[in-house]
Amino acid sequence: MTADLNPILTSVIASRIKAVGERMGTVVERSARSPLLVEGRDFSLGIYDVDGRLLEQTEYIPILGYAAAPAMQYIARKFKGKVAEGDAILHNDTYTGGNQASDWKVTKPVFHDGEHFAWVVISAHQADVGGAVPGSYNPYARDLWQEALRLTAVKVHEAGEVREDVWDLVFGNVRLDIVAEDVKAMIGACTVGERELRTVVDKYGLDTFRQVTESILDSTEAMARQLIRSIPNGSYEAEWICHDDGFDHDAEMLIKVRIQVEDEHLHFDFTGTGPQTPGYVNAPLAVTLSSVMITFFMLAEADIPHNDAIMRCIDVTVPEGTLLNCVYPAASGFGNHLSDQICAVIMLALGEALPSRVTAGWNPLYGAVINGWNDRLQRPFVDILMNGLKGGGGGTEGADGYDHIGLIASGGALGAQDPEMFEHNNPVFLERFEYTRDSGGAGQWRGGLGVETVIRFTNDGVQASIFGDGDTPETAAPGLNGGRSGSPNRIEIAYPDGTTKVADLKDLVSDLPAGTVYRQLAGGGGGYGDPLARPAELVAREVRYGYVSVGSARDHYGVVVDPESLELDPAATAACRSGVPAGAGSSG
Amino acid sequence: MTYTVGIDVGGTFTDLLLLETEGTAKIPHKTSTTPANPADGVMTGLRDLAEIVGRTPEEFFGEIDLIVHGTTVATNAVLTGSGARTGLVTTEGFRDILEMRRGIRSRKHLYDNKYVAPAPLATRDLRAVVTERIDVDGKVVTALDAASLDEAIARLRAADVEAVALCFMHSYRNDEHEVIAKQAIREQLPEVFLSVSSEVLPQVRLYPRVSTTVMNAYLGPVVERYMRNLVTQLSEGAFAGTLMIMQSNGGIAKPSSVAELPASIAMSGPAAGPVAGLAYVAARGLDDCTVVDMGGTSFDASLVKDGEVQVTREGEINRHMISLPTTHVHTIGAGGGSIGWIDDGGLLRMGPQSAGADPGPAAYGRGGTLPTTTDADVVLGYIDPDYFLGGRMRLRADLAEEAIRTHVAEPLGLSVVEAAAGMYEMVNLAMASGTKNVSVEAGYDPREFPMVVAGGAGPVHSGMIAHELDIPFVFIPKMSSVICAAGMLMADLRHDFVRGFNAMLSTLDLGVARTLIDEMAAEGAALLDDEGSDPATREVVVSADLRYVGQHHEIILSFGAEEFLGEGDGKARVAAAFHRRHEELFGFANPDADVEILSLRVTAVGRRPGFELGGAGAGGAGLAEALKGRRPVYLRTERAKVEVPIYDGDRLPVDVVVEGPCVVEEPQTTIVVPEFFDIVLDRSGSYVMYRKGRSLADLDRLVAAEGSR
Repeated sequence: MTADLNPILTSVIASRIKAVGERMGTVVERSARSPLLVEGRDFSLGIYDVDGRLLEQTEYIPILGYAAAPAMQYIARKFKGKVAEGDAILHNDTYTGGNQASDWKVTKPVFHDGEHFAWVVISAHQADVGGAVPGSYNPYARDLWQEALRLTAVKVHEAGEVREDVWDLVFGNVRLDIVAEDVKAMIGACTVGERELRTVVDKYGLDTFRQVTESILDSTEAMARQLIRSIPNGSYEAEWICHDDGFDHDAEMLIKVRIQVEDEHLHFDFTGTGPQTPGYVNAPLAVTLSSVMITFFMLAEADIPHNDAIMRCIDVTVPEGTLLNCVYPAASGFGNHLSDQICAVIMLALGEALPSRVTAGWNPLYGAVINGWNDRLQRPFVDILMNGLKGGGGGTEGADGYDHIGLIASGGALGAQDPEMFEHNNPVFLERFEYTRDSGGAGQWRGGLGVETVIRFTNDGVQASIFGDGDTPETAAPGLNGGRSGSPNRIEIAYPDGTTKVADLKDLVSDLPAGTVYRQLAGGGGGYGDPLARPAELVAREVRYGYVSVGSARDHYGVVVDPESLELDPAATAACRSGVPAGAGSSG
Repeated sequence: MTYTVGIDVGGTFTDLLLLETEGTAKIPHKTSTTPANPADGVMTGLRDLAEIVGRTPEEFFGEIDLIVHGTTVATNAVLTGSGARTGLVTTEGFRDILEMRRGIRSRKHLYDNKYVAPAPLATRDLRAVVTERIDVDGKVVTALDAASLDEAIARLRAADVEAVALCFMHSYRNDEHEVIAKQAIREQLPEVFLSVSSEVLPQVRLYPRVSTTVMNAYLGPVVERYMRNLVTQLSEGAFAGTLMIMQSNGGIAKPSSVAELPASIAMSGPAAGPVAGLAYVAARGLDDCTVVDMGGTSFDASLVKDGEVQVTREGEINRHMISLPTTHVHTIGAGGGSIGWIDDGGLLRMGPQSAGADPGPAAYGRGGTLPTTTDADVVLGYIDPDYFLGGRMRLRADLAEEAIRTHVAEPLGLSVVEAAAGMYEMVNLAMASGTKNVSVEAGYDPREFPMVVAGGAGPVHSGMIAHELDIPFVFIPKMSSVICAAGMLMADLRHDFVRGFNAMLSTLDLGVARTLIDEMAAEGAALLDDEGSDPATREVVVSADLRYVGQHHEIILSFGAEEFLGEGDGKARVAAAFHRRHEELFGFANPDADVEILSLRVTAVGRRPGFELGGAGAGGAGLAEALKGRRPVYLRTERAKVEVPIYDGDRLPVDVVVEGPCVVEEPQTTIVVPEFFDIVLDRSGSYVMYRKGRSLADLDRLVAAEGSR
């Protein structure tokens, strides 16, 4: 059959497999409880062959896409020949392929006539996974046991029945009931995926399905090779510094990458990256691999299937024991967020090779998980302050950075809480939630705007686990090709007694009394290109909108706007722009 | 003789359907849409109809009792950014909620860093804030500061706005600040169109509420102008009957109530399709169906369940959210103009690029060289190039072949027919997947829903879509090409109301609930009175937005008012129904958990009589008479073109089974009956295509089974 395998049949089956992933996503999106899954859409779906090779993925958030692949390879090996129809397996362990202890995977084997031929999996961020701190961001963790319950792949369903002993063990070690409900929704999604995938195989037969999936992978490989050929051959390097390892707030950690482009092959070599830290600022290998893929898809600017074949043309080297490939039993709760820095360093390295495709820096994540008791609803609560943490994206040739988008590894998928629902669900009063003026880095294409969020807690005893980077002008999202940096991040806590505290990059603040005001500035993205080349009318309009101040228009863009009427002064602008010496607009 | 006319103004064509009030004649007609002033196209169409029935325009206009009109004027204003200059007055600290769109770049653009979001309908210089604040429980935390209000109004006056939206935090819980601000705006800006969130959409969630309120303001002046213009032209033409407007919710309303809530017609266009679809299956005693409408660039699918058109509260036009109840239409970018291409990996893809109407498919001979769905249909023999649109347009089979050979067949090393068959299958798969989504999302199995087909190109593809989804019955109305105009004439009067609050169902004060429901029902009754609806034909449907504590999406559950408020434990009845629906939708339920209630809704319906669908005409005496000839068409099982009979639909006898494979040609469309199906022309004016081995008797059994459920 292979010889005359019809390209049409391949196209047809490819589109059917794609539909399976979409269907699974619909189930989770509609039925889960956690704000992370439902509002944040912090999940992704995948279909793997029996050996754990990725055939198709449907990601709602990019970072969770390829991040499931190493775990699936592990599970496929571990359970080879030891699964039956109706089994469901739960996994989160960062030393057997997991990317973050909070990102749980549920997978089910798929059978045809008694033969196990595939896996369907969903990976999703859980509201709590045990460990020392609710929400599982523990800046003081020194090993993985202080972060989360460790699940090195266990069967929670066997032959369609819940294993109650295991179920009770797992959920007896998690603080919130909704986690069990979310896992039920995930199993439901896998059951739907299993059913749909089996229908495809029933229709075409297993042999055809296998041959076709091979040719789908070959076809994707051909596309990937074509894309890589569009990158000029060469060796490209860049470095990036991360800050604060949770113990030493002044610690600086180096990420280094060398990207070798050779015709149809890419090699990412992170040799030279700093050693793993004593705390939770460490990335499991899965995070690093996934970040490479996210950046590849962003730079590819092409609609290409997301499957295992892409890895055939991309090699990634990450020395063990480093920040980006930590070894057992290091903590790694923050590791997923190093994806920001990994994406950034890759963009920086490829800036020279692909100047029109890279973006300036994105606002580095700096956020908080809050937890405590909600008197109004008489129940505990946990929430990631998505609203507060979503800063601006980086400008790029032809487009301003996206406003209030959040971390690059989310690709703009994370939704901020609706202000009214936020107050309905949590013991909070939202004082303010708006774009911040002058937050976007100046540029021909400016950086996306950041936001200011001011929250007053209405219950005693709120705890905030704070984590991130980028709280100084030097570490904020950098501009590119003459663009300026975005504004930095900042979190301040004002206690009812008048005392205030500026949070560290990694911090755990407990027992906040009612009336405490939490104020967060999520910074803007970096600008791209010379700000003097931005159309003066556009700058003046953004002054009228209040996105750019009169002063910044003049100082950064060379655009003079009358402070009263807010109208453009063309003559003064021309003089100002010609008077600004060349190069004064370069990266700050 | 008096007449009733349904008029559907679409992007390209204005479709009209004329009914004789006291007769049986049904006259479909199409004319070109006049985008600059769509009322002109409407008038042209009506004058054409006068000519067709042999009356002067003056006589004819005087004889029209009722016009029901659906229009894309509002949708287009949003798509092209040609609505009113709109200001927003909102709570200090929340100026940008509208523009932020919750910070989501959308799933379609996860990796697209060049994506730029459309500008908000009220730009930031036109968004003014007021010092005031009401909390989540409806308590005033900061009293409204009059000076800040005056300043906000002055700012909008200086900016010369034509419309103002007013939306404060938690106004669905307590509207007192919006009431004060409304009065001040009325006094100080008497000329502007004013849209107030606690009137437009009093329910929790600031972003959807502010977005809907702003869209309502943005559309106000546009819709008002359009209505005025249309009414003037109609009355100048001596029309003295009633004009009704199709709303997005699938019901109709008087122009005056539409002028009050212009956002209610934001998606007026496609809303009538499912109404008509329901009427066609109802003629056979069914009350469930999927309605599909295949156009040149897009394919719409919608669902009718238990006689109710499915509506969504999460509508969107060009990324502007609208949360008024809107007929749920799932749209995908596949249609007759979808272009086939080979990706870098060597696989065939269809769309989303479309050749549109200009240059259109290669077969149109207007300079298009890229192969489209229509070109594949011609090559496969499904469409007779000499009988496209009843022969009014000649197609060029040679150009279709050439396009497919160059761009698909040769790159893949296939014959032209094999390549065309691949294109046909790929586009059908995409449409099948879209069709499946509407039922799966709502928690149903698509196989249980007969499919009703609309649109000129639909019947060429519907057989294989049904085959893919294992749908046994397909209804193809003879009037499928003007189905929305027909649906408008069948639609009921319909008004939706909502009141948001938050409570646990178990501790909800039923007295409060009754007051809210009565209030909404009274508002509905007043509108229906004004529209002349007979009280005996009215219905009040109550629904509630329910969820488990901690969930983020509500299930909207409908019930009779008495089921909730009447004898016995109404709360328990509603809770039980919620658990059941949750199980249906998501595969699990928590019967022991308490249920949160976020809104109560009332829909006031004034039922209208449908019309006799019949009109298949006398039909022919037998199949032989209707047989036009034979031509080769592609059959999947043969993997080749095979000669099949071609029938003239106008001459087919009713109730006689025509075996597939065959082709039935109608003046407006061509029905391809694949080898898996037979077809029969039903007395109800619809073809019913059904899977071989099944029969119309099975359809009747399906009805009986539904009845006993």
